[in-house]
Parts: sequence; structure tokens; C-alpha cells
Amino acid sequence: MSKAQPDLQIAIEVRGLTREYTSRSFFGTVSKVTKALDGIDFSVKKGELFGLIGPNGAGKTTTVKILTTLLTQTSGEAYILGLDVRKDLYEIRRRIGIVFGGERGLYNRVSALDNLRYFSDLYGVEPAVARKRISQLLEAVGLAERADEKVEKYSRGMKQRLHIAKALVHDPELLVLDEPTIGLDPGGARDIRNMIREMQKQGKTILLTTHYMFEAEELCQRVAVISKGKIVALDTPSELKRLVRDISVIELRTYGVTTEYVEVLKQLPNVVRVVAELDSEVQTIRIQSPLGADLLPQVTSALPSDAKIIDRTIKEPTLEDAYLRLVEE
Amino acid sequence: MKSTETASGVPLSSGARLRMAWRVFKGAFFFGRKGLIIWDSWDMWVMQIVITPIAQISFFALLSIYLQYKPSATQFIVIGNAIQSMSFSAVFAVANITSQDKWQGTLPSTLVTPANRAALFIGRAWFQVLLSAMIATAGLLYAATIFGVSFASADFLGVAVAVLLTSVAMIGFGLLISAVGLYMRTALIVANIFLFVTLLLSGVNFPVSSLPGWLQPVSWVIPLTYGTQAVRMAIAGASLAGLLPTLGWEALDGLIVMVAGYALFTGFENLSRRTGRFEEY
Amino acid sequence: MGVLDGLTPGKRVDGYLSRRGQVLRACIVLTAKLFFADPQWIIPNIIAPFIFTLVAFFLFGGQASTGSFLLYLVLGSGLMGMWGTTIYGSSNSIGFDRWNGTMESTLAAPIPLSWIALGRVLFNTFEGVINALFILVIGLAWFKVGFGFVNPGLFFLASVSTFLSLSAFGLMMCTVILLSRKGGFITNSMEIPVYIATGTMFPVSILPVVALPFAFLLAPTWGIEAIRLSALPGYAGLGTTYWTDLAILAVETAAYLSLAFVLFKRVEAYAKRNGTLEEY
Repeated sequence: MSKAQPDLQIAIEVRGLTREYTSRSFFGTVSKVTKALDGIDFSVKKGELFGLIGPNGAGKTTTVKILTTLLTQTSGEAYILGLDVRKDLYEIRRRIGIVFGGERGLYNRVSALDNLRYFSDLYGVEPAVARKRISQLLEAVGLAERADEKVEKYSRGMKQRLHIAKALVHDPELLVLDEPTIGLDPGGARDIRNMIREMQKQGKTILLTTHYMFEAEELCQRVAVISKGKIVALDTPSELKRLVRDISVIELRTYGVTTEYVEVLKQLPNVVRVVAELDSEVQTIRIQSPLGADLLPQVTSALPSDAKIIDRTIKEPTLEDAYLRLVEE
Repeated sequence: MKSTETASGVPLSSGARLRMAWRVFKGAFFFGRKGLIIWDSWDMWVMQIVITPIAQISFFALLSIYLQYKPSATQFIVIGNAIQSMSFSAVFAVANITSQDKWQGTLPSTLVTPANRAALFIGRAWFQVLLSAMIATAGLLYAATIFGVSFASADFLGVAVAVLLTSVAMIGFGLLISAVGLYMRTALIVANIFLFVTLLLSGVNFPVSSLPGWLQPVSWVIPLTYGTQAVRMAIAGASLAGLLPTLGWEALDGLIVMVAGYALFTGFENLSRRTGRFEEY
Repeated sequence: MGVLDGLTPGKRVDGYLSRRGQVLRACIVLTAKLFFADPQWIIPNIIAPFIFTLVAFFLFGGQASTGSFLLYLVLGSGLMGMWGTTIYGSSNSIGFDRWNGTMESTLAAPIPLSWIALGRVLFNTFEGVINALFILVIGLAWFKVGFGFVNPGLFFLASVSTFLSLSAFGLMMCTVILLSRKGGFITNSMEIPVYIATGTMFPVSILPVVALPFAFLLAPTWGIEAIRLSALPGYAGLGTTYWTDLAILAVETAAYLSLAFVLFKRVEAYAKRNGTLEEY
């Protein structure tokens, strides 16, 4: 009996996972050791939709690569469907589907059909079965009519849908999606999210990484927040939001505001955090403060004369606010 | 703001424009090395200067030995291939110099005047001329040391002049090929084809007179054809004076080819700008 | 939209041979489709052999323009062409994925990388046959002769064997390219030396003695001998018999394959240690 009895209800089990990168100087001596992952523990139940969120470089992609057997860990254990990622590589790969975000991962010069046929063979699906599944999947992701066209002619959203079809062609029990909606327009992203929900309803376990907080909030049953290689929080989205229940959020829509104003806001007493998006014509500023509406007079008086507040709302804190607090500490 | 005006909108005098072109030229000349990707690492140097020339000469020399040609014929082949091996660097370097991003990356768009572009090109190209000449010289060195070609009665001045002139002329030829490549959007393939065609047509492995009559005029368009002839004559002992007719024709040919190349090149660039097609190779 | 309502269930393909056969077939088909979608990349790889052969045409010029001379040239040319595509195609087999962005998909596949590479290499080597066909057409048009093989059956066997040995060599070169920074330099420099060392246009017997070990260690050298023995009437060659040639070829090809598979394991281990094959 192995010392770790795999619980059959657990799809992913991670214990003490670390990953170090050693950079060597020209002479081969060790010059720097970076810890991309510094002891991660979590588990995902079968049929769960689990999210992994964190800033760039926090360790999301490293974790995903280890779990999908593309990268070896420095120490620690990871089990996918009861199988050790270090030993049962090929078996794990046949039972999971991976969806990469972005443009890469498809053969652009041939058709969607060609791509799916190729990957179904690569994953050992019986050809007769593959044929049926491919047409079902193309139908389901809405690419059936353009299946014979070269993928290079597809829009970004269509390519992403093809990625999902490709990940499902061998009927995996577990899906790993690495930032699947990145770079998509709102309509395309919504389609992908609907598909993710569908897949979960079918009983698949899903591990999702994203840096869109609203997406994690909308889709995931539980979320782990990774920062600097460690998990800083792991809970349901509503529980995580309770971390920031002490604050309210004032959301302003403004016009003509500069970073100076944002700096002034940050200096106001009782302001916990200010997040501003000033690049578009209608700007958004979110002010976190326990004072809530009581802060409004100071906010308005600090406004420069050539700027305007178009709209102001008091909001409940979101997962994003909780996330910001967690990763900035 | 037009490229021939200063920032404040005052038109530049022709003297000022010339001075600007000179500055661009100097910059390009001294930094010419940086722009040539194929020379970035030592292994590319070794390959271009040592391995490929020796391998190519060996192939054809051995073939001639197998066919039991007279030693003079083998010598003909060895010298021919030694000189031909410079063509690769000449033509590919031009492709390098003239590819789109090189123009746009180095000169701010406001400075892209015809004079400045020519200055940039010439500045970069000089480095390439020296490199090509070096490769050909290396080839002749192999000819003497490995393949037993006798330089006893050679007129070294004549050889040097012929090699340098061929270098320059082949850069011009490279420009022509790049223009064609630009138009056909497959510069790599066009360059490859042309380069290998010189093996057939430039009197490298056999005299041009062995070719069918209708093909021979094409040979005489390629500067390398004159080059191989001149170098052979110089090695055999012809003086510089004796080489002048051949070299003269080569210079003229090189000039025509360069002008035609530049005209075609600018023409195709304008065409692609108008039709909105920018094809990188 | 019911993504998975009733996705057809099915047994997996699980046998050792059937899995690998399936993967090989899939990779050959994909590489073929990618090739036909963009055939022009092959041109640089077949230009050299093609032109070299044409030059050889002219140099041979004085010899009798018999059918067997034409055959000799076509064979030599075909072999150079296959070398050319083998050398470049081997780097293209997995290197292509790197350039295309499909490296991760390829590394994530549930089958050893070597089988994927092999499928690609097989098709890429085969493209060299196209060069032979070009020369054949030109030769027939120029000299207007047909030709007869000494023994078509044995010729076919020798050809297939040589093709397989080239593919094995290409597979091995694939790992060299993936594992070494100088891989590209090695493959580019190899092209002409290998035309010489395997005796494509002239027999290895005229090479300097120093070069002979290299010539003999290259399996296609023996394949070319066997091909010529079975095709050209009166060909003397190195003095070995047809079957000796094939035997040596078989042994050396097996050695290349073993080495290739061992090296591929290293490639995969490297990829997993560093998370990528993107840079080394």
C-alpha cells in the first residue's frame, strides 16, 4: 500500500509542492535560487469547479504545469485522479484535458477538423468513436459550419472554442483551463464561460486559472489565492469576500481625472485602498473605506476643477477587493 | 512634417541634407556589424568561411577527379567554387540590410529620405563587401593549400582587385534579387535559387561556352561570371592591365545591376505601401 | 448548448503497437497536410541537390548519354534530395512546433515524444523523393532515353531500406538540434559533407582515407551501394555484395534508432525540468 491512500472523491491533491529555479553563473556555480512555488497545499473534489487566482508571476502557471505533468516539482506531492504526477505521466495525460489561453496550441494552416482528428489520434481515441465525437463537439461549440476552414481564418473567440473541443475529444474526467478567456471580447468570453458551466454540470472536475476576479466569482465554487508562491487564502468566494466586509466601496465614474487626484484620495484618512483605471474616456475609481458614503464629501471636495464626477455608487466589496487585500499584504 | 524639413517646418538646404546623409552613413558603417544577424555567433562565421566553402569545393573537385578530368580542369573548378562561395554572404546580407524592419528600426520615419536610405545602405554594405572579399580570399587560400592550386605566377594585385570588385558588384546583384524577392514575397527562396543557379551559369564549374547558346547571355548578366574569369586570368599570371577589359565589363554590369535593383526595390516598396501589403520574409 | 450531452463513449486504443501505429499515422498525415498547405518551404531544401545534379549533368557531359548514366544521376540526385530534406526536415519536425506555438500541446501528449518526431521525420524525408522525380523528368526530356533496372524487386527493397535509414538518422539529428545550442549550425554544415561522404555522385573509394570511417558509419552509404548494385548494370562499387550492404545498413540504422530514443528521453526530461523547450 502506498503511504498516500488516494481518496477516490478527490480529483486533485497537492501537498507541500515547491518549485525552485536555479540560475547558474557562467562558471556553473549557483548564483540565484528563485522559489516559484513555496509549499502549496490544496485539494479539489471530483465534480468541483475550482479557481486559482493570483497576480502574474505568483505561481499559477507553475502550479498548472506541474499538475499537467509538464514540469517536475522540486519537492512535494501532487496527485491527479489518484495518480502520481511524477510516475503516471501518460495515464494522467489521457484522462485530463488542457485548455491553454491565447493563440497558441493549434495548427493554423490546416482545418479545425484536421486538428481535432490529429489530437484524437494523439490521445488514443478509437477512430470510429472519434469521428462521432468530433462532429458532436463541433456542433456543441458552434464551429460545425466552418469546420473545414483553415484555423488561421478563425477569430480569436472561435479558436478558443476549438481549444475546448480539442480538450474534450478524449472525454477527460478533469479539465484544466489556463486563463481561457484572455484576450476575448465580452461576447466570446461569455460563450466560453457558459461552456465551462456546462462541462461542470456534466460532472467534470475543472481547475480554472484566471486573473479576472468577476469570472472566478461567477464560476468557481472555491477559490485559492496564490501570491508569491504561497496560497494566502482558500475558500468559497463569499467567504473570501467576508474578509473585506469591514469596508464599503465607493465606485466613481469620472471624467478628466489625473493620477494626482488618485494620490490625494489615497492620502485621505480612513481610505484603505484606491484602485483607478484612468485610461479610457470614462474613468473608474474604486475607493475602499470603512466609512462608505460618509467619505463622499471629502472625495468631492478634493476633485480638481477641470474634472467631473459623472456617477457615484456605494458598493459591496467584491472578490477583487478581497483579492487585492490578500495579495498586497 | 516632410522629411526634408526641420521640426519647425523650415526646408533643409541641400547642404544640410548632404551632411545628414553623411552622418547616417558614418553611423551605419561603424555599426554595420550589428545589423547583420547571420554574423551574430562564431559558429555562423565558421560555417560561412570554413565549412561550406571547403565542402562545396570538395564536392565538385572530387566529382571532376572521378570523371578523370585533367588537373587543369579540376583547378578550374576549384577556383570557380572558391570565388562563388562569397555569393551567399553577399546576397543574403543584402536581404538582411533591406528587410523592412531594418529600415524602420534604424531611421526615425522622418529621416527616411532617399539620400539617407542610400547612405544607410552603403554604410552597411561596406562591411558586407569586406566580409565577402574575406570569404573569397579564404576560398583561394584553401585552393592553394588543400587543393593544390599553384599561385606561383599569380598577379596578386590583380586577384585582389578582381575579388573586391566582384564583391561590390555582387552586392548590387543581391539588391536586384532582393527586389525580386520582395515582389514575389518569397525572398529566401528566390535568393536560394539564384545563388545556386550561379553554380551553373557563372563559369564556376565549366566555361560559359559549354552552355547552350541561348543561355549564355544570361551568364553575362551576373557579375560573378566576369569575376571568376578575371581571377583565373590573374592566377595564371595576367597583369592588371590585361584584366582591365574583363574588370571594366564587370564594373559596368555591376553598376547597371545595382541601379536596376535599387529602382526595382524602391518601386516595389512604393507598390506595397500603396496596396497596403507589407510582407516580411 | 449542451456541450457534452451524450458524447459518444468508447474504448481507448491501448495496445503498445496499436497506440504507436496510431500516433505515427496521425503525425505523418498532419505533416503531409501542413506540407501541402504550404509547399514552398521545401524549395530551398531541394534546390541544392537539384542544381548540383544539373552541374553534374554538364560535367558528365562527355560520357555516354545512356539510360544507365541517366539512372545513375537520378539516383544520386534523389539521394541528395532525401539527405537535404532529412537534415532540414529533422529540425523542422519538432522545431516547427516551437515556431508554431504548438510546443506545449506536443509535449503534453500522452505518448513519448520520439514517436511524434518519427512520424514527422518520415514524411519530411519522403519529400526528397520529389527532387528525384524532377531530375528524372528533366533527364528524360533532355536525353530521351528510358532505362531498365537490373532487378526491380531488390531495387525497391534497397530504396525502402535507405529511406528508413535516412529517417532514423533524421530522428537522431532531431535530438541533437533540440539538445544543443549549436544544433542548427551542425545540421547546416552537414549538408554538403554528407553528399560527399555517402557517395551520392561519386563513389566513396575516391575519398581521402581520413574520410572513410565517416563514410562507412553513415548507413545510407551502404543503402546507396545496394541501390546501385540492384539498378545499374555492371556496377562494381566497393566490392561488397548487395546483402552485405543491407546487413550493415540494418545494423547501423538500428543503432541510430536506439540512440535517438535514448536521446529523446533526455529531451523530455530536460523539458520537464525546465518547463519548456523554448530556449536552452
